[in-house]
Amino acid sequence: MLRRWLPWIVLAVLVVGALAYSAWPRSGDESVAAHTRRIASDLRCIDCESLSVADSATSSARATRADIAVRIRHGESDAEIRQVYVDRYGESVLLKPSSNGLGILVWALPIAALLIGAGGIVLALRRWQRQPRLVASTADEELVAEERARS
Amino acid sequence: MKHPFRWVALAVGAAVCALAVVLALTVSSDPHAEANTSRLVGKQMPKFTVEGLDGKPITSESLAGRTLVVNFWNSWCIPCRQEHDALTSWYAQHHDDPSIAMLGIVREDTKAAIRSYVKDQNVTWPVAFDPGAKAALDFGTRGQPETYAIGPDGVVVASKFGPVTPAVLDQMVAYAQGTN
Amino acid sequence: MRAALGILGIALGVGASAVGVLLLALGIARKDVELVRAGRRCVFVVLAAAVIAVGAMEWALLTHDFSIKYVADNNARSTPVLFTITGLWAALEGSILLWVLILAGYIAFTARRFRSRLEDPMVAWALLVALSVALFFFVFMAVAANPFKLVDGTAPIDGRGPNPLLQNHPLMAFHPPMLYLGYVGFTIPFAFAVAALITGRFGEGWLADTRRTTLVAWGFLTVGIILGAWWSYEVLGWGGYWGWDPVENASLLPWLTGTAFIHSVIVQERRGMLRVWNLSLVLATFCLTILGTFLTRSGVVNSVHAFTQSSIGPWLLTFLGVVVVICLALIAWRADKLHAPGRIDSPVSREAAFLANNLLFTGLAFVVLLGTVFPLVAEAVRGNQLSVGEPYFARMTTPIGLGLLFLMAVAPALPWRAASGDVLRRRLLVPAYSGAVVMLVTLVFLTRTLATVLAFGLATFAIVAIFRETTLAVRSRRTADHAGWLKAFTGTVRGNPRRYGGFLVHIGVVCIAVALASAGSFGARQEVRLRRGDSVVVSGYKVKYVGTRTERSAQKTSVSADLALSKGGKSLGTYAPAVSTFPNSNSAIGTPSVRTGLLEDVYLTIVSSPNATGRITVGIAVNSMTLWIWLGGGLMALGTIVAIGPTVRRRLQVRAGAPQPPVPTEPVPEGAGV
Repeated sequence: MLRRWLPWIVLAVLVVGALAYSAWPRSGDESVAAHTRRIASDLRCIDCESLSVADSATSSARATRADIAVRIRHGESDAEIRQVYVDRYGESVLLKPSSNGLGILVWALPIAALLIGAGGIVLALRRWQRQPRLVASTADEELVAEERARS
Repeated sequence: MKHPFRWVALAVGAAVCALAVVLALTVSSDPHAEANTSRLVGKQMPKFTVEGLDGKPITSESLAGRTLVVNFWNSWCIPCRQEHDALTSWYAQHHDDPSIAMLGIVREDTKAAIRSYVKDQNVTWPVAFDPGAKAALDFGTRGQPETYAIGPDGVVVASKFGPVTPAVLDQMVAYAQGTN
Repeated sequence: MRAALGILGIALGVGASAVGVLLLALGIARKDVELVRAGRRCVFVVLAAAVIAVGAMEWALLTHDFSIKYVADNNARSTPVLFTITGLWAALEGSILLWVLILAGYIAFTARRFRSRLEDPMVAWALLVALSVALFFFVFMAVAANPFKLVDGTAPIDGRGPNPLLQNHPLMAFHPPMLYLGYVGFTIPFAFAVAALITGRFGEGWLADTRRTTLVAWGFLTVGIILGAWWSYEVLGWGGYWGWDPVENASLLPWLTGTAFIHSVIVQERRGMLRVWNLSLVLATFCLTILGTFLTRSGVVNSVHAFTQSSIGPWLLTFLGVVVVICLALIAWRADKLHAPGRIDSPVSREAAFLANNLLFTGLAFVVLLGTVFPLVAEAVRGNQLSVGEPYFARMTTPIGLGLLFLMAVAPALPWRAASGDVLRRRLLVPAYSGAVVMLVTLVFLTRTLATVLAFGLATFAIVAIFRETTLAVRSRRTADHAGWLKAFTGTVRGNPRRYGGFLVHIGVVCIAVALASAGSFGARQEVRLRRGDSVVVSGYKVKYVGTRTERSAQKTSVSADLALSKGGKSLGTYAPAVSTFPNSNSAIGTPSVRTGLLEDVYLTIVSSPNATGRITVGIAVNSMTLWIWLGGGLMALGTIVAIGPTVRRRLQVRAGAPQPPVPTEPVPEGAGV
């Protein structure tokens, strides 16, 4: 019994191990440039339609990236830096709605929808399992036997 | 549940109707009319150092104690050109007044283009470059033209995003002078 | 003269479609085939009307007739011929003309295809519904968005010319028409779905009738979206190919529900199940195409596409509302009859995999729709200004996308009804192990990013599974037919074009997934200030600033920077990104210069033009695997073409003494319809 499942178990171990290693928070500092880029990609460039500060080439975007780098070196936290820009430009400068207030809906609703959908499928599968398989009744069997005898 | 599809259809219908009402409301509104008022209003003007046309620095401290009109602009944006005459006539009226100062800070433009614009259009009020776009960032400007009125105590009292008219400028400055 | 001709075309279109709808309705009510036939003939008059109107507009554009407001706004004497022709779809009014032409074409094709089945009320109803949609668009043009409106006062001497972004690249000739061929194509399955609901025949008939049209529309929409991404990358110059712009999202939504539909149709064909679901998907796909048009054209959302603000918003919204209400009412009315008797026997079966596929695709559509309209809703309800941008979409769609990759690997190997452990092991173990090995190799040598590692592993899983299935099928045909490899391969594919066309499409998707994952993890980006003669090294590529050139033409003035590219001492050529200004517009348009390589692109842009000291700021980006997105798109298109091909069944081997059935050796068209 175990032999049949062994290859799958080994596979599962390999895969889970790899994923865990990949997801493990790594030591070692992020460079200032990478850190700046990370924060900048969450902020909207003011002069553009929907580009992030990280992607935009306007001088205001470059000034913002320089400003973020300065703040990182001063030791300000990510949340503090984001708050500086929210204070200046309003919530709409964040490309990802924050989790408090109305913004939480945009994160929660899709997850809820997927869970409801998955739940619906599981319920339907259960219902189908519980339905008895169609079995011919004795009357049907007799009819078939009659026809066979005739031909 | 009897006829679950009917209920699902009705629920979806209600959600879609709600969405439609919302979209209909927003069709009439202007998507670009973000709160026209800057968030800086009511707060202290940020300190800045900008570079005059002659290359010498102009600091915010040097303008302290006066009612200040700061106008962010450049040579290629059409609304900036639209408000040029309004700014010229307003400055002609008020440039003798020692308690008022005006400063045009350049946003998103090259030095060469600004210099030739200043010469061709005969810009009379002080104009400064913004190295590193730092002042624009500190003011939280959202584009150009954007004009701020600052009281003598350094508090930003009014802002306008978009071209100004002489009447609007008068109103902004009167408000700035009213707060002491 | 041209305006008059155009207005004549539109008026003819209104009249012919109204008459056609009337005749079809009467014909259905009185069960009179002759009336239906007459209504069918109106379809061809509508096509002629659309051709006349489009022809008049192209004539006006090519002769620079600036007395017509649309031509004055979107064309200038200095506009090159190609962009004069593409000016037809440069702005709203003209693009509705294109929509109407394509719609008339699809309806005419359907009318011809079904000319021998006019007694069938379903065909009559489908034609009626399709013609009603055409009627709406013609009336819309006549009343709210007239492309042939004349200029107030005298005609200007020269027009404004198209938006500079729309005359930068020949791709402008292909991207919008392809998109429209996709969008509009979904009207036909929609019409048949509504006809099926009205006539009460929601079995598999309407599916068979519309199978090929749905695939064709889906194929065009796929190509249109990929071309849009290519345009964004090669022309717009911001360095990316997908910005989660509201208009981009609007084109993605019907594609997502359309893809879900293509898959769940197979379940309905095999098992008779999911009838309501499939009908809803088709109705939703059509509604989403209209919603997309509304979002794009009404100016409700900020976007690089939303260059119109007018009263057309309420019109489109009303039409959308009416369509949605009718669809929901039809489903609610027929609800009790729609319940199918089938069941799914096991959660480990192909049916269940398709159900999961649909859940994930509709989940994706929900995420994209929510992210796009949420800022609007938040502002209308609470007055909050919120943005929903790339970080949100990336965070939400990546897990779903990875789930779909997994399903893509597993589903074709799952048997129908139920799978035993032996079957699973035989079919999936080797591909799964291949994927795991690739995951480990990626982790050790390439990157630790979780999404990329998973994507590479799942992509390998999918490719090996497809390869295995195909090789086994070809091998068994080889031994059965005693044929060579090539003959066996073509025979296998032609024997089941849907399956193997689908495999090819999946391979294309895998290419795109790998490219997207690589782009996230690899690559470099830098902005450098250079003087003439300076060079800089980014990711092994040496970029040397040679000089600038200025070119002036009637259409535009361009400043290009010549950059010599080399790697490891070997010269790769000179590339010239540019910044152009157009006479009638104030903003400068940047054009990137891209060196496309098999594994990476070098993407060069001018960030700021040479200043007084001759220094120039250049953007240098090394992008990973971008070519594989375009290749993947090409494979998807190819796979779609294969999938709509006819099935060629081979001769049966005849047993001695058994009666011989007649064996068709010519192509057997699957289904009777389009």
